[in-house]
Amino acid sequence: METFEKDRRARYIAIVLSLAAAFVLLIILNIRLGSVEASLSDTMQILFGQGGDATLRSVIWKIRLPRIFAAILLGGALALSGFLLQTFFGNPIAGPYILGISSGAKLVVAIVMVLVLGKYQGTSTALLIISAFVGAMISMGFVMLIARKVHRSSILIVSGVMIGYICSAITDFIVTFADDASIVNLHNWSRGSFSGVSWDDVSVMALVVICTSFLVFLLAKPIGAYQLGESYAQNMGVNIKAFRIALVLLSSLLSACVTAFAGPISFVGIAVPHIVKALLKTSKPILVIPVCFLGGSIFCLGCDLIARTVFSPLELSISSVTALFGAPIVIAAMLRKHGRD
Amino acid sequence: MKLKRLFAAVLAAALFLPLAAACSAGSQKKGLGNGWEPQSSMELAYAKNFSVDYYDGGYKLLSLSDGTRCLTVPEGKEAPDGIDADIMVLKQPVNDIYLCATSAMCLFDALDALDSISLSGSKSDDWYIDGARKAMESGKMTYAGKYSEPDYELILSSGCRLAVESTMIDHSPEVKEKLEELGIPVITEQSSGEEHPLGRTEWIKFYGALLDKEDEAEKLFSEQAAFLDKAASFEDTGKTVAFFYINSSGYAIARRSGDYVTKMIELAGGEYIFKNLGDPEKSTSTVPLEMEEFYSTAKDADYIIYNSAIDGNVATLDELIAKNNLLGDFKAVKEGNVWCTSQNMFQQSMQIGRMILDIHGMLTGEDASSIEFLYKLE
Amino acid sequence: MDYFFHTDELTVGYDGKPLIKDIEIRLEKGRILTLIGPNGAGKSTILKTIAKYLKSICGAVYIGGGSVAEMSDAEMSHLVSVVLTQRMRTELMTCAEVVETGRYPYTGRLGILSDDDRAEVRDAMEIVNVWDLRERDFMQISDGQRQRVLLARAICQRPQMIVLDEPTSFLDVRYQLELLQTLRDMARERNIAVVMSLHELALAQRISDDVLCVKGENITHYGPAREIFTPELVNELYDLRDGSYDTLFGSLEMRRPEGEPKLFVIAGGGTGADVYRGLQKSGTPFYTGVLSESDVDCRIASALAAKVVTEKAFCRISDAAFAEALELLQKCGEVVDCLSAYGETNSRNAELFERAKKLGLTVRRAEELV
Repeated sequence: METFEKDRRARYIAIVLSLAAAFVLLIILNIRLGSVEASLSDTMQILFGQGGDATLRSVIWKIRLPRIFAAILLGGALALSGFLLQTFFGNPIAGPYILGISSGAKLVVAIVMVLVLGKYQGTSTALLIISAFVGAMISMGFVMLIARKVHRSSILIVSGVMIGYICSAITDFIVTFADDASIVNLHNWSRGSFSGVSWDDVSVMALVVICTSFLVFLLAKPIGAYQLGESYAQNMGVNIKAFRIALVLLSSLLSACVTAFAGPISFVGIAVPHIVKALLKTSKPILVIPVCFLGGSIFCLGCDLIARTVFSPLELSISSVTALFGAPIVIAAMLRKHGRD
Repeated sequence: MKLKRLFAAVLAAALFLPLAAACSAGSQKKGLGNGWEPQSSMELAYAKNFSVDYYDGGYKLLSLSDGTRCLTVPEGKEAPDGIDADIMVLKQPVNDIYLCATSAMCLFDALDALDSISLSGSKSDDWYIDGARKAMESGKMTYAGKYSEPDYELILSSGCRLAVESTMIDHSPEVKEKLEELGIPVITEQSSGEEHPLGRTEWIKFYGALLDKEDEAEKLFSEQAAFLDKAASFEDTGKTVAFFYINSSGYAIARRSGDYVTKMIELAGGEYIFKNLGDPEKSTSTVPLEMEEFYSTAKDADYIIYNSAIDGNVATLDELIAKNNLLGDFKAVKEGNVWCTSQNMFQQSMQIGRMILDIHGMLTGEDASSIEFLYKLE
Repeated sequence: MDYFFHTDELTVGYDGKPLIKDIEIRLEKGRILTLIGPNGAGKSTILKTIAKYLKSICGAVYIGGGSVAEMSDAEMSHLVSVVLTQRMRTELMTCAEVVETGRYPYTGRLGILSDDDRAEVRDAMEIVNVWDLRERDFMQISDGQRQRVLLARAICQRPQMIVLDEPTSFLDVRYQLELLQTLRDMARERNIAVVMSLHELALAQRISDDVLCVKGENITHYGPAREIFTPELVNELYDLRDGSYDTLFGSLEMRRPEGEPKLFVIAGGGTGADVYRGLQKSGTPFYTGVLSESDVDCRIASALAAKVVTEKAFCRISDAAFAEALELLQKCGEVVDCLSAYGETNSRNAELFERAKKLGLTVRRAEELV
């Protein structure tokens, strides 16, 4: 193998190993840190053995571990969703919510909160999760309909943004009829959080995210073809129509899953693909896809750790933390890109 | 298109779930389920959203209008066999409480039971009740995060045994589920749903039963009831009152007719300016009104009480008019009869009787210095 | 005759609106078809329809026996590869990676290249002479280099037909020739059919086996190159007014200077070329002679001079020609002499020069003008 290839391989291995190390480190930190401190030996005992302090056991198994898994799965989902959309639109600031997904989810959640809670005493988490998911899928459905007719990707972005606006407008309309409690709660919901995640939630998340991510990985080849542009991709045998629909569907499933379980979390989807590509210095999908997932997990694990420990017991909104770290990255990416042009 | 139909079906199915749940919740189960009969029940004058049944052996069954039931077990004893699975068991003395229902704090304070609370859902600055604030500052009560995002780890590790939440928790069902998953029973107190103002105050007897302080509770309640009896002797002044605040979107948020605040006004000898505002079937207590619609009815109100609890205090008439120019045309504003609630009104369920007196004082033109829970805008 | 590529009453256009109707093309493998014609949507539309980017309005395209409309994208990818001129924007892709995508029709599920694939890629890149660029970022090379990398990509796809849209547009002359030569080599060695559009007439004339002329909404002509490249046809196709095209050499000349000439140029054997062009630039009309019909200067002069006095090829200057030249000389005030040596056939030009001096014309050497 040539030296250039050797260097690249070495680089890839180094990056992946470092990320894996960061991943493990953050998991350990997330298990150990919080309102209750856990020493390393306690942690080991609780994770792999029996006994240990019962409260700490509950804290780790029932509170922290589900949260950690949620951050891993949803962080990875967001990063993948962002990567798919950035490739597809050729737009570096495309993110999981560019197609109006979170606005659709918020709309249905608002409807449920205002109408259902108005009449009945309570809702269940399952209901809110399903509402958010359904809302996201409906938004996505509209975008798909448009994707069939329209051949230019830029028009697709505009449609997504418009759908987002329409959903927001209808949501505001509904909110006028809401009482203060609903408004406050809708606001809280849209801030996004990993708090209160249960193992049931995690199992559903895992199913959706892992299956969808696997399908995305299988699309590595057509995505690679697509990086040369639609015309060349078609010439290489990619069925553009089907590919487009698959892309929108998969990225929407991923971001809908996140929105449903944790509310909209911004910037992870936009920033992580840039970081990953900058580190790996390549955009080969077969490599970028798994590393993006890993990167997204790490990003969310880190941000969640900060969100829940810095001002404990108050929890910062996870979106604020991700924006704080994510926005400078996006700006740097923009500067770098335009610096070259 | 097939996809869309599938979504609609899922949505419909999803919406049916809580309907089913709610229906089953509505039917209140009776008795402990093991054949025991209650010896007596607590007498309640105004409260409709809870009941207390007394059983042989000192057991008390507390039932709430949302279907929650809990059984207090006297110290040293065990829970009886064969009781229904949905009944929460609380061993006396009930302490290490995580309190998120702000309106209940003053009831605990009045019962001198603040030390049974170890965690609170509001920061120390947010409490107007001195006792509460002191307890938080001295570290006896710890802030555990707000109701929608509690610090589960802190709650779990401090050995919390009971969470008392307000109805706001209904909008964050995952919190309730998580707490229960962690083994902490949750009571969602329903005092905000009481129609009669004194029904709210009567909840002190609920907590009295919970904390084995029924006698103190009874005494305190009777005091407030006495205020009410005094108010009953008041003649109708015939004056109309508008109670509202202006939110950030420019809407006037008024109370639903029949809500406890409007009842307080009636009991004080006044008349709430809106006769049939809002849907009595709905559990929401406020009604948003577009400013012009609000204007057309409320402009002739004799008095205005501005609700500062949500929006913050208004210090002068000019500040009030700055919120919306139309207010300058209101009769109450022109005649200088605009009052504002001091912020702690909603935290003071124990003082409802007193508050009714205050409103009466406002209506009859008493000296402002003797009025505690309202102040006049100049 | 079974043609590898042919169209059947093909009508092309956008959005259901026909642009060019009844296109009938036949092409065998190993031959090059070039589309020429003035700017307009026509040529690109035809190429896009052939490559299955556009649906034909009616009629059909057949490649390798099968109708393109009924072929799947995968089947097409084994038959046809393309080189387009659109603006490309890749991110962090090396040239090697760009060329590697050409192997996609042959790689497995995840697109991982085998050693054979890599050998093909190297082969293609070496043919086009871009192997040195393999590690460079695709966006950081010149337009011309990019074009060649894309050709390498098209080649390593091992197609039976290559479709190119203006492939020489960004290239400088060295690479224009190289690229076309490569296409010719591919056509011959690998028996590939080539269909492309070209702007440069001179190149089109040299590279094409068959030519399709597209003007506006019509196919004006279709046939072998030698039939197409006639002066009349070219002038008509391109509406040449301000210049002319020499089909023998495939060269262009600018517009003939207008007016009554006052200058006579004596030239021959290529010595007059620079003078003629210089006079064209200054807009000075001129006469010239006596030139043999086979003389190189004669070809240029016939495009630029007001009148050329000629003599039959391989013959000495006749009296008639001499007389004609003298007549024109007398109308002029100036003479320019380009010749410095005389041979058997044009020795009388020296005499012409003496006569001019005697007539009192201002005499200049060619070197003074240029």
